[in-house]
Amino acid sequence: MTQQKYDAIIIGAGIIGNSIAYELALKGCKTLSIDKLGGSGFGSTAGSCAIIRLYYSSPEGVALAREGYYYWLDWPRYLKLIDPAGMAYYKNTGAMVYKSEHNKNLVPVMESLDALGVGYLELTPEDMKRYLPNPDLHSFHPQKRMDDPDFGQPTGDSVNGAVYVPESGYVSDPKLSTHNVEMAARKLGSDFMFKTQVVDILKKDGRAAGVALKDGTEIFAPVVVNVAGPHSYLINRMAGLEDTMNIKTRALRVEVAHVPSPEGVDWENTGVITSDSDTGVYTRPEVGNHVLIGSEEPACDPLDYVDPDNYNENFTDQLKTQAMRVAMRIPDLPIPTKEQGLVDLYDVSDDWYPIYDKSDLPGFYMAIGTSGNQYKNAPPVGSFMSELILYCEGGNDHDKTPMQYRMKYINHTLNIGFFSRNREINKDSSFSVIG
Amino acid sequence: MQIYVCIKHVPDSAANISIIGKNSIDENVNFLLNPYDEHALTEAARIKNNLPGTEVIAVCLGKADAEKTLRSALAMGADRGILIAKEKNYDSRVTALALKAAIEHDGKPGLIFTGKESIDEGGMQTMFRIGALFDFPVATNVVKLDIEADRAVVVCELSGGITHTYEMSLPCVMGTGRGLNTPRYPTFPDVVKSKKKPVQKIAFTDLNIKASLAGMRVIELKPLYQARQPKEIKGDATVVAKELIRILKQEAKVL
Repeated sequence: MTQQKYDAIIIGAGIIGNSIAYELALKGCKTLSIDKLGGSGFGSTAGSCAIIRLYYSSPEGVALAREGYYYWLDWPRYLKLIDPAGMAYYKNTGAMVYKSEHNKNLVPVMESLDALGVGYLELTPEDMKRYLPNPDLHSFHPQKRMDDPDFGQPTGDSVNGAVYVPESGYVSDPKLSTHNVEMAARKLGSDFMFKTQVVDILKKDGRAAGVALKDGTEIFAPVVVNVAGPHSYLINRMAGLEDTMNIKTRALRVEVAHVPSPEGVDWENTGVITSDSDTGVYTRPEVGNHVLIGSEEPACDPLDYVDPDNYNENFTDQLKTQAMRVAMRIPDLPIPTKEQGLVDLYDVSDDWYPIYDKSDLPGFYMAIGTSGNQYKNAPPVGSFMSELILYCEGGNDHDKTPMQYRMKYINHTLNIGFFSRNREINKDSSFSVIG
Repeated sequence: MQIYVCIKHVPDSAANISIIGKNSIDENVNFLLNPYDEHALTEAARIKNNLPGTEVIAVCLGKADAEKTLRSALAMGADRGILIAKEKNYDSRVTALALKAAIEHDGKPGLIFTGKESIDEGGMQTMFRIGALFDFPVATNVVKLDIEADRAVVVCELSGGITHTYEMSLPCVMGTGRGLNTPRYPTFPDVVKSKKKPVQKIAFTDLNIKASLAGMRVIELKPLYQARQPKEIKGDATVVAKELIRILKQEAKVL
């Protein structure tokens, strides 16, 4: 009989995978993280805008984001370590979220913020001018593609106003933050294997029993966790679980534009995060006095689901479309001819909410379908996933009696059954990166 | 005065470009305005600001999708555009003949700009060929330009950073270099306006460019693979700093 060296194997060393490894290690488990790429956070974590914001379409989403925020504020103490490679840090900028029909004028978000005692300002369109350089606050909804002759033509006199949440910002370096967690986990005895590809999930006696690697090696452990990001559906397929879940995941190709700030504006130091559901884009200030621009998946834009191992890594018109949507709002925004930005993947679930759950294969767990909106939640997700694993391995039936997670920083209990693989599609979702 | 700016639709250098067959590239990547041409357009717009009555016309020999690049030029300040629509790629001899024919047909050039080179082929011939066809003087890698009543005073940068200052009669042809200006990027209103500016389309075949035995074509393209060769400098901070300064001065020659 093979001696079991590891208590758990974690497939994927992104921010969430590493957080699960660290939290399991804190609970005394010996973990092995395996990643196909060369280091922690080299996959879709590296492409994350790492925005720490509180607006989600569900109260559960808002509460989890609020809990995550405290971990980022408390980063070195949470990890109990100073990484020689440097520590990622949280930079506060504030976030301004536009009210629109699409987000029910943020009424549910404000209710959730009130319930958690989070401060915010409700802004009239006139108030919004304080947060943006020389803005055009006409309404442009519904969004259009650039080749539409009405692209950029106002459709209404004014946007509906906004909600400004001062306690919002971003993490300086998502890849470094993932390395920080790796170092913290290693200090507790966790192992990491990079440039290593899992090709099969081993089973024994109706349970997950480990993984097989591309070079033929088999590694055994009673617990296997799929945190493979955009490759999550492929790992589920290896485990024979793809068709056993109500909610599915797929790899979605997305582009993020990177443009300079308007002339004379120090956006790096004075800019806020914006989420503009009227034009369908979000922005974040970036070092070098730039603006990062992502898409909120407006209905007119096709969703580009791809093979995560073979997709177009070049920019398309989508990048410029996103930049132009911000430029409608900020007419002084320069649009360079030579586009800059990045192309990366989201692991999107059917309702853009994650799956944090066990599976139909005992011993096999999933933290997948993060849909581009879970970076901020990684530390508390690591915490409750580790508790969920111990809960299920302890003989509890999470499907029948979902685990209730007592948050650490805020006085709130989260029903982890909310993230079930077998939930009905959450119709309150924004069906976008907003979650 | 009419200023003609010859622009080129080139593949984005940030794209993953692959070679098809032996002598062409997969054109299914993002194309944009040749970066050196941005300096030409910015300079033309500056001259127009100082000389009321000036018209800036962007001219491009390209396939149908080059209109996108021509619109970028209009957003950067050109008043109108001329697209010479081609079906296949031509050498710089034919390119210059086509640009000359289109410009001559359109108006009376007071100045003709090109970028000093294109980032895809880098032939560095087009400005000289256009100059020769028109019998105009030509300067290239122009880093400073002053237009006076009937002459241009230009500073050109040669290799090693040496500069020469010339006086040129007008009309003349300028190949613009990076040092000339900082391109002014368009804003949303510029892009909206550019969509309404006129673009005249001429078929390459309508220019009646005579066939000739003279010409050149690409036989083979080879990708350049660059391997990084990192070198560790060992020692304490003082030693490392001294060695770094020596390398920057003597090897990289940037100090």
